[in-house]
Order: sequence, then C-alpha cells, then structure tokens
Amino acid sequence: MNDSRKSDRTNRLPVTVIGGYLGAGKTTLLNRLLAEPHGMKLAVLVNDFGSVNVDAALIANRNGETISLTNGCVCCTIGDNLGLALHALAERPDGPEHVIIEASGVADPGKIAHYAASHPRLILDSIVVIADAETIRERAADKYVGDLIELQLAAADVIVLSKTDLVGADACRQVQGWIESEVPGARLLATPGASLFAELLLGQRAALARRMAAGGDGHRQTFAAWTFSRERPLDGAALRATITSLPPAVLRAKGIVRLAEEPGRRFVLQLVGRRWSLERMDVDGGYDGLPSARSTIVCIGPAAQLDPARLEALFARVAPATVPPAIAALLQREDRP
Amino acid sequence: MPGPVTVFSARKIITMDASVGEATHVAVRDGIILEVGDVDDCAAWGPYILDDRFSGDVLIPGLIESHAHLLDGMLWAKSDYVGPVDRHDPSGKLRVGLNDVPALIGRMKEIEARMADPARPLVAWGVDPSLNDPITPITRRDLDQVSKTRPIFVLHASCHIAYVNSATLALANYAAIKAPGVLRDASGTPTGELQEMAAMMAAIKAVASDLVGGSTDAGQFYNFAKVAQARGATTIVDGGGSTYFEPAFLAAALAAASAPDFPARIVAHNNGITVPSAQDMIKFAAMVEGKGNDKLVFQGIKILVDGSNQGFTGRLRPPGYLGTGVNGLWNRAPEELRQLVPALHDAGLQIVAHCNADQAAEMFIEAVALAQARNPRFDHRHFIVHGQLLDESLLRRMAALGIHATLFSNHLYYWGEFHRAHTFGAFRAAAMNPAATALRLGVVVAAHSDTPVSPVDPLLTLWCAANRVTSAGRVLGPGERVSAYDALKMMTFNAAYLLHRDHEIGSIRVGKRADFAVLAHDPLAVDPMTIKDIPVQATILGGRVFPIVG
Repeated sequence: MNDSRKSDRTNRLPVTVIGGYLGAGKTTLLNRLLAEPHGMKLAVLVNDFGSVNVDAALIANRNGETISLTNGCVCCTIGDNLGLALHALAERPDGPEHVIIEASGVADPGKIAHYAASHPRLILDSIVVIADAETIRERAADKYVGDLIELQLAAADVIVLSKTDLVGADACRQVQGWIESEVPGARLLATPGASLFAELLLGQRAALARRMAAGGDGHRQTFAAWTFSRERPLDGAALRATITSLPPAVLRAKGIVRLAEEPGRRFVLQLVGRRWSLERMDVDGGYDGLPSARSTIVCIGPAAQLDPARLEALFARVAPATVPPAIAALLQREDRP
Repeated sequence: MPGPVTVFSARKIITMDASVGEATHVAVRDGIILEVGDVDDCAAWGPYILDDRFSGDVLIPGLIESHAHLLDGMLWAKSDYVGPVDRHDPSGKLRVGLNDVPALIGRMKEIEARMADPARPLVAWGVDPSLNDPITPITRRDLDQVSKTRPIFVLHASCHIAYVNSATLALANYAAIKAPGVLRDASGTPTGELQEMAAMMAAIKAVASDLVGGSTDAGQFYNFAKVAQARGATTIVDGGGSTYFEPAFLAAALAAASAPDFPARIVAHNNGITVPSAQDMIKFAAMVEGKGNDKLVFQGIKILVDGSNQGFTGRLRPPGYLGTGVNGLWNRAPEELRQLVPALHDAGLQIVAHCNADQAAEMFIEAVALAQARNPRFDHRHFIVHGQLLDESLLRRMAALGIHATLFSNHLYYWGEFHRAHTFGAFRAAAMNPAATALRLGVVVAAHSDTPVSPVDPLLTLWCAANRVTSAGRVLGPGERVSAYDALKMMTFNAAYLLHRDHEIGSIRVGKRADFAVLAHDPLAVDPMTIKDIPVQATILGGRVFPIVG
C-alpha cells in the first residue's frame, strides 16, 4: 500500500469502484444510496439506466446520459468510454464531491480502479465488491465464471455480503468463513442498511463528519467509532506497523497526524478495508501555521466487532518515548498564552 | 431507360458460381451482370462497349473483408502509419515495415519536417515493439529525438498501448497521473509508455481526441473503403462499434457513401458493443433498418463475448493460457448472454458474436441452443467472429444450430509463433482457425483481418487460410490448410453468405452486382505460397472501374 506521496488529497475528487458479479446487488445498493440523505453531491456512473430506479419525486431532470436528482446527486451512463465520462466529471466546475463507478458484472474492479488514477484531480477511495450470500459459492464453482468471482473478491478492499436475510445466520457464517479462507485478510461487512452503506462508502466526508460534529452516533447499534488522540507527534514506523496489523473489523479509518520524523507537516491517514495511505497534507514545505500539534485517528467498524481495548493496545506503541527537539520547541511555542 | 451495356474481357473469369466456373467475358448494365460467357454470349444483349483493358488479367468476384473496424479509416485519415508490419495505404502504396527504433525515429523525423504548424501534434500508429529486431521498448527519449516541443503520440497496433514524448507528458500533466499503466523509470519519471486506456486517456484527450468519441469526419469512411479497395475488396464490414444510431453520424456516413467515387460497399453491423441493453439494441437496429444506400447497408448485430487471445483476455476452456493456466475476461456475463442472445434471436436479428477463444464460443453456442429450443428459426445465419480455437465438437454443434463463422486466419501468420510460445502452446496453435474442418462439417466459414489489428488485405488472408505459415516460416496444422479454391470461396461467396448478401455479391453470376477484383495472375493456378504477392490491378464496383494508383 502507498505511503507518504507528495500530494494533497483534500482538493481531490475521491472515486469508489463498486464491483461484483451480475445480480450481486450493486444496483439495489446504489439506488438506495442515491436516495439517502447523506448531504453530499454524489455522481454515480452506471452502465445502463435500465436498472436505475430512484423515486420519481427525487428526479429534478433527465437529459440524455445524465439524471439529476433534487438532492444534488447525478447519475450518468458510462457510454462507450469510462475515461471520458470520468474526466468530464473531474473537470466540471460545479462537479460532485465523490464519484461512484458501478463496474460491470464481469469487470475486474482492480482494472476499473486504474481510471481513478487517470486524471490529476481524481483519487481512488476504495474498491467495494458486493457478494451475493445466496449464490456466491455456487458461482465460484461455475466453469464459466468461477475464476472471475475469485478475481473480483481478491480485488476488494471491502467485501459487502448482500442478501444475508435470504440465507439465515448459519449459512451466512459459512459463507463468511469461506470468503475468509479464499481471500486471506478480507474485510467483510454483512448486509448493511443504506445509511450504513453510505457511511462505509463516503466515510468521514459525510455521515462520520456529521456525527462527530454532533458528538453523537446515529448508528450506534450497527457501526461504532473509536478515536485515538495524542498531543505529541507519532512514531511513523510504529504507526505504519499498527495500520497493517489492524483487526479486520476496522473498515474505515481517517486521521490527521504529525509524525516525529517530520513534525513540521501534517499527514493524512486514509484506510478503507485493506487499502490505506499515509500522505503529506501540505504541498509546500515548512510549518503549516496550525495551532495544534495534535494527532487524531478515528476507526470505524461494526459495533459488535470493534474492540476498543484491542485498538488501545495496538495504538499504545505509536506514541514515541522521547520528543524530538524540533517538536518540543513547537509545543513550547504553542503553550505560550 | 436502361443504360449502355459494357462487356469486360479477361484472360480468365473465375466466377465462384457453383454451376458455371469459368468465362472470358462479362456483360454489365446499370451495375448488374447481364451475361457471363464468351463475347458472343454477351452480344446477345445487343450493342455494347467493349472494355478490354483487363483482357490480359484474371477477373474474380470482388473480395469481401468480412470483419474490420472503421477505426482503420480514421487512423489513415488522422495519423501516419509507422508500424513494423508491411501495410498498403489507401492509395495502394506499400508502406514497408519499420523494424527497429532508429528506422521508426528516422521516419517520424521525415513526417515532422513536413508539418507546417509547430503546435500541431504528431499522431502516428501501428507500432509493436514485440515484432522489432531487436525488441527494445520505445521511450520518450526516442520520441524526443523527433521533437522536444511538438506533442507526439504513437499508438500501438493493438490500440492498447501508446508511446508519447516529453512534450505530451508535460502538456497532459503526467507528473500527476498515477495510473499503474503509466510506466515510470527508477526516478519516478514516466518513460513515455502508456498501457491501457486508463493510462492513455489524458494523452488522447490532449493530443489525439479524434480517435475517441464518435467523430463524424468524412475522411474515416472514405479511407476505410479505399484501403480495402486498394487490395481488391469491393465490400468491407464495419464490425459493430460505430454509432450509426446517432443521426449526425448516420448522416455523415450516408453522405460519404453516396458519392459516385466512393470506392467500396460497407456492410455495417449494428452496435451491440457500446449499447448496453437488448431493448436499445433492438430499437437502434430497427431505427437504421432500410436507411442505407447503394454502398452502405446495415446487417446483423455485433456483440462481444470475450477479449483478445494475444492480450490474454480471451476466455479459454481448461487448461487456460499456456503455463499459467489463467483465463481471460468476459465482455458480458454468461447469465446476461443467456437472456440477450434469445432476446435478439426472438427479435429476428442476426447475431454476430465476437468469440476469440473456445470457452467464449462454447458459451455463445449454449445461448443460441437456448434460443433455438424456445423459438426455432431457420436461416438466421448467426455467426462467430474470430473463433480461433473452435474444434470439431464445437463446430458440429454450430452446424446443428445453424451458426457459421469468420475466422481470424491472419493470426496464423502474424501471431502464430507468439501463440505457440506464449498463449496456447504447440497443439492449440496448430489447431487454430480450423477452416478445413469447418468446411468439411458444413459450417460456412469466411476469414478476416480485423483491421486495424492486422492489415486489410484479402489476398493475404486467403493465403493464410491456404498455407497456414507463420512469420518464421513454420506451417501450423497442415491438415487445416484449405485449397486455393476453398480459400477464395471463403473470401467471396462464403463471406457474402454470412452477410446475407450472397444473392447480390460474392460470385460472378447473371443478375448479381458487377463487383469484381482484377488480378495479374490466376490465384488458382499459381503456387499457393505466392497468392499474396499477386498484383491487384483494379476493382470494378457496380460496373465502374476503380483503378489502383499504388
């Protein structure tokens, strides 16, 4: 995974790729996402409007390849060139805040994700693959598509198991066990409701940001957040090691941190399932003038599985024992009235 | 009132008609054949003008390129050919292949020197370093020798890779484009090689935007027809990616093809490639039905089932690709094909299915079997395009269901050694494009170039089917070689049959269109290994002579 590239992701347009075989439930989830009051301007790129089924009352207008919704979201068809459709969104002055690409049922979502790096403004947020709990094992044994199912699961940062209500708890556990054996280290989420799905896909930029601002948690019963915060810069190597050993229950994490190795800058931590990055936040060199040296990381995952004690233990090692002189001076300066 | 009668004389006329094989004269009026026989037979239609300029030559039915892409015409219209493979340009002039980087750079310098506007990008196409000797990558440093300031974009023959110079990298801001297909050197600087569309996109938009997005440029249609005509074809298929359902594109195509000097007929498949749903495919096919003219007609609907064998994206049956056992990619899901194929079949359409490897063909055959069980149709002439790994068992099922094929015989020559060494191994490479078995089992087969993938040159394709020789001189599967007569039939009558045009074209017979190719030698008499070298003197299209300038 990537690390410390010189770029500022705050001005960039995040792209999520939704993959999964035909009938897995991609469109159902996208339809619900478009209608969900997440407060963000989304652009959803689909292969075919035929399956898009948003409430007619939500449609502001429909114009060839684009359906505009009253909540500011748009749904566009990919047409014959995904790159052209995506670049057009990236270059729109009043463009979206997040792009979601519905990959075709036979696509390798990992290859589709390359398009998220095809324009300077775009950045890949995550690859989410939907797996139908009822049929995935049968499909994986099919002579025509078995290898494709494996390829799609392996490309996923997060696997969302759909239609779990149709198979019952036991069968669902069996499918989960099977996926974990096929894809070691897989990050799995069983049938989320629409709001949970929105949170997983859009992360901190919408639902989480709102919840943090309000100091509450609208989804306590399903998703939980655990926050780590330190006044002093963190040990970069220990932080990277911690991130790579996070329990699978952490589906998303975001943080703004300072590292002892380069205390004058802030770094952005982004994690979605198995994908993570830790990048310098500021393009220009030098101290960024912000008043606090505080590092904060929020981890999100299903409430039933997220274990705060384990996370505490994992993150305990990222605080350095000694404070480098440069940062000590910084802290002193900030302590002045 | 009927026009004048013209009688063409020839040393020999090979009719490819089942009943009457040879003649010396053919009488033509208003684009239609009146008589085929000797000069006295032709005189039975009254006074005539004798056109004996080809009296020393051999007339055959106009050759038919049964699978090609309009992109070829766009590439000739908008860019310069600089590839390693010999190709005839639209004027018929042979562009000899450039087999190493210095030769490529030398040619590009000549092109650059002729360009007046210093800001205009230099766009070229056709390179393939794997065919160069020595095999060395093409880099921005090479292309910077041509120009450091003019943007340069060179498209690979596969259209999946592009090579650009520093000016293009800067113009399109590749420092900030992190797509994995943007190759970088140890310092992180792009080498100039851009692999796959995600990596090429920014460069295409910046310097070669004509190549994407449904341009209505008239030159693409003319050059597409001209490059076929220059090699003896009177009909060429536009294989399904074009957007004739868009009124502006349709109008541009019809306007181009209606010119009296438009040099070949285009049979265009309806677009089942970029149109996602069966419902829209059927709607669009109905929209253009009967909208064609004398030289542009619409026939069949093209769908893609898998990828390309040499790109490792064809769908193979076990054991998969040589060595690794991996498999390629579906273009449409098997479940979707089980719905789509019956839907198109029920709508009365002819289905033209790109199936490069054998599992794709198996899947398509299975879907047609479903459609036929539910709604038996006779003479639908659904056909497979490429069908490179068809075997006797698949071909027998095809014969039973009425499915035919146009084979990608050019692969035997251009990629035969590559398939033997890298994709299929010895046995499957020797069994590729099995024309002899297909014909023996009653499957009607033609063969094609898939231009721009390989050069449109029907005599070369015919030569490939008859000789099955690789570029290294090895014969692949001698048992699948066909006679020169059968190979010629594949490129004429059989191709016409696949296109539902065998009542109009594909043989020289009374009542059919007067579409002929004029050859310097008799392709049935020469050593089959020399067929590809027979000079094409002219084509005759609807009775009008189209000389080859060369």
